[in-house]
Amino acid sequence: MNKYTDVLIIGAGLSGLMAAAKAAEQGKEVMLVAKGMGAVGLSSGCIDLWGYNLEDPNQVCQDPLAEIARLCAVNPQHPYARVRDVLEESLLFFRRVCQENGNPYLDHRGGNWLLPTALGTLRPTYLAPASMAVGDLQQVRGVLVVGFRELKDFYPDVLAANLKKSGVLQADCPLNTLMVCAGGGELTPNTLAYRLENPAVVDRIVDQIKPHLLPGAVLLLPPVLGERWDSQVAKNLAEKLGHPVYEVTNIPPALPGQRLQQMLLHHVKGQGVEVVIGCTVNGARVADKRCTEVLATGAGKPIKISAKTVILATGSFLGGGLESKPGKAWESIFGLPVETGHEKWSARDFLSMAGHLFNQMGIKVNEHLRPVDKTGEVIIENVMVTGANLAGCNHPIEKCGNGVAVASGYKAGKLAGEVGE
Amino acid sequence: METDKAQVVVIGGGATGTGILRDLALRGIPAILVEQGDLAHGTSSRFHGLLHSGARYAVKDKEAARECIEENMILRRIAPNCVELTGGLFVQLPEDDPQYADQWITACTEAGISCAEADVQELIKKNPVLSPNVTRAFKVPDCAVDGFRILWGNVNSARRYGARVLTYHRVSAIHQSNGRVTGVELINQLNGQKRSIECEMVINAAGPWGGEVAAMAGLEVNVIKDKGTLVAYNHRLMNMVVNRLRPPGDGDIFVPHGTITILGTTSTTVDDPGCTKPGHDEVLALIKIGQEMVPELESYRLIRAFAGVRPLYQAGNATGGRSVTRNFALLDHQQRDGLAGMVSIVGGKFTTFRLMAEKTVDLVASKLGVNAPCRTAREPLMTPVSEELLERGKKVFGVPGARKAAERLGDSFAQVVEQVEKNPDKGRILCECEVVSLAEIEHAAHSGDSFTLGDIRRKTRMGMGTCQGTFCSYRTLGALSGYPQFAGNHWEYLTKFLQKRWKGMRPVLWGQQLREAQLSTGIYCTLFAMERMR
Repeated sequence: MNKYTDVLIIGAGLSGLMAAAKAAEQGKEVMLVAKGMGAVGLSSGCIDLWGYNLEDPNQVCQDPLAEIARLCAVNPQHPYARVRDVLEESLLFFRRVCQENGNPYLDHRGGNWLLPTALGTLRPTYLAPASMAVGDLQQVRGVLVVGFRELKDFYPDVLAANLKKSGVLQADCPLNTLMVCAGGGELTPNTLAYRLENPAVVDRIVDQIKPHLLPGAVLLLPPVLGERWDSQVAKNLAEKLGHPVYEVTNIPPALPGQRLQQMLLHHVKGQGVEVVIGCTVNGARVADKRCTEVLATGAGKPIKISAKTVILATGSFLGGGLESKPGKAWESIFGLPVETGHEKWSARDFLSMAGHLFNQMGIKVNEHLRPVDKTGEVIIENVMVTGANLAGCNHPIEKCGNGVAVASGYKAGKLAGEVGE
Repeated sequence: METDKAQVVVIGGGATGTGILRDLALRGIPAILVEQGDLAHGTSSRFHGLLHSGARYAVKDKEAARECIEENMILRRIAPNCVELTGGLFVQLPEDDPQYADQWITACTEAGISCAEADVQELIKKNPVLSPNVTRAFKVPDCAVDGFRILWGNVNSARRYGARVLTYHRVSAIHQSNGRVTGVELINQLNGQKRSIECEMVINAAGPWGGEVAAMAGLEVNVIKDKGTLVAYNHRLMNMVVNRLRPPGDGDIFVPHGTITILGTTSTTVDDPGCTKPGHDEVLALIKIGQEMVPELESYRLIRAFAGVRPLYQAGNATGGRSVTRNFALLDHQQRDGLAGMVSIVGGKFTTFRLMAEKTVDLVASKLGVNAPCRTAREPLMTPVSEELLERGKKVFGVPGARKAAERLGDSFAQVVEQVEKNPDKGRILCECEVVSLAEIEHAAHSGDSFTLGDIRRKTRMGMGTCQGTFCSYRTLGALSGYPQFAGNHWEYLTKFLQKRWKGMRPVLWGQQLREAQLSTGIYCTLFAMERMR
């Protein structure tokens, strides 16, 4: 089978979907192919932009946009330096798409939210879905952490013990835990989320929680409140209880990331993007520094796809965009070079504040997101690289993975068809 | 300061120490075993998991070879749930000296080790990962053995006869008076408290720490510390132990264990008995040699590398390495150094731990005037799980889960099954890679000698599978956070556990395992911001 399109996007993660949404909005013919569902489903579902101060990496950053401007000056190799020109408009675009699709994302007066996790730690993030956007914990007059008997991935006592230790709550703020039953059995986050879409189940949970509510308390729950991207479970639960209800970040699978992905998929399909999931791109033909076609397999059949612009949004090692052997790493479709440095790929400490080199490995690009070699020369002119494929971002420590994905995906979608063709 | 009394104190909670404790207990000699860490945290969990047939030592070390085959047969009988009867192979490649094979066959026959030549084509058909260039192959009675399980079997058996165990207690002094040992002083490694035990006899079974322990009594015992690095593949590459048919060297043994395969080992003399850091270069060298026997080795997923320190012993001054005998030596310090009440058991290997224990306790018993004979070769280590109980287990854990839990738990399986029958929620699987249930984890936490998540791991295998603890360590902490020993500093418990896993993953960070590492840092840093947790 042979296909032709203006813009071909490989990968259904956050940056690929952003690229598809923006390119489609500009009237391009867009095709998106992906092997699987993308790593955004493994993410928190929040848009982390920039977490901490450059000078004091233990201090939460109060103005991420300003901090990124400073970052670009001191670290011009960071992906943000390639996308800073569109950073703010990309965030506006993202929020508009979310709003239109019934999954609004909220900011915190331009600063960082400090949101609780299932471990009772706090993590800074720039945009959060309404179901996760806990206001200032310093102000709350009580916290009730609610877990589900059916779920093995969430432990209210661990959250409560460590949240108390973190010192963010006022000393006299009551902090209680409760286990509720959603009908019995053992459930995964996904099956529990599905069950909670049933209003009768929510009612039974409300009955179990009500006797334990203290005036002014906020409720923290695992990220399982509804399966669909436009789910109303958190909102309904809050209304019925008369108390705000929030999902916290947890180990995958977690629903907020999956909802974000579903919502964007729904959106781009509505924009006329042709989406093929379960399609593995095995290689590409390149002639005269241009990709003439990519070679893929979908449903067991070979597919050749030609495109004016190819956007490579296949992720890092985890997503399968990068591959490695001892001492060697490369990009998996075009074989683009990945610098491995002369140092060790990992730090001695698992939780090193310096992070691990393997998380920073990726493809170097120019200001048009085109892959470049060591000398800065473009390697393939009609290919753009986005998201976790990009080199130079220490995202687990900096808390900027989804922010880079939003901005770079948006920029690639915007540039598609404009430069180099 | 707390003071205990026992007739004998055994220093070292490895295979030899626990074997000695059991032997003492079965002869009715009151004893306490003291161990600086958890049981099996040292050499006894850091080896191939190979129950030698002796064939590897037949040419150079006939005595060791003969002991191996005898002990191999005994352990199959007394500990069937700890031994997997895989059988072993010795394969010859074109570059190996063909004359060595003849020499080896003669030596095996002399040592009483059966070695039957196998049809190479048929072997490769059954074990398709093997090199098509194999020229000759021989079957020997090698097996895979679970070190953790044997040790706990020893301890549980000894406890039934009244023996005691103190883990996380390091010996800080050995007291003596008038040329006779009178007791030991200990420091609790978890809370720093001191404690002493009065005794008539101290048995030094401290493996690579044997020299350090002897030095506390003013004695010199030259233990050669020989580090060996091994790697673990996330696949059962072959169904038999596979050895290279040539003089023993690096990277020439593969041992299948359940769903994984261990390849090893290297040999480097080190100074520190606690040096268990696997080297990146050693790992690459191992894989290179292993490829000669298994050409596609590079395409299989490694989950980790680990290293152990062989405590080798040779009287006089030897340098170390492959040339040192694998025989053991029993040192009577009364005879040798004029200090009564102390013996050291040094050298040897896992396969012969029971024999080492027998010889040691024979000597100690004669000194104490005890006539009871050794019973460890006859009495089973644990009662086998009955078919009926296994059927009940299958109902609550499913077929594979029940088998694994029954093998791990042995005598305790009944209690765990009962827990889940009473409360089905406890049947949920917290570690999916190794199929470990909440009930089993709670059982380990209840045992009285689990102080860290690592202790739970060694007892249950939680965290030892493909994900290397990424998911199950968090769940285990959650499930146990109500227990006093896990209610304190969650950051510390998790960090220590994850760091130990990380140490083994680092030397093999490429391919699939690099993806796993990226997921793991994604969870603990991106999602939990744990790097800044205090």
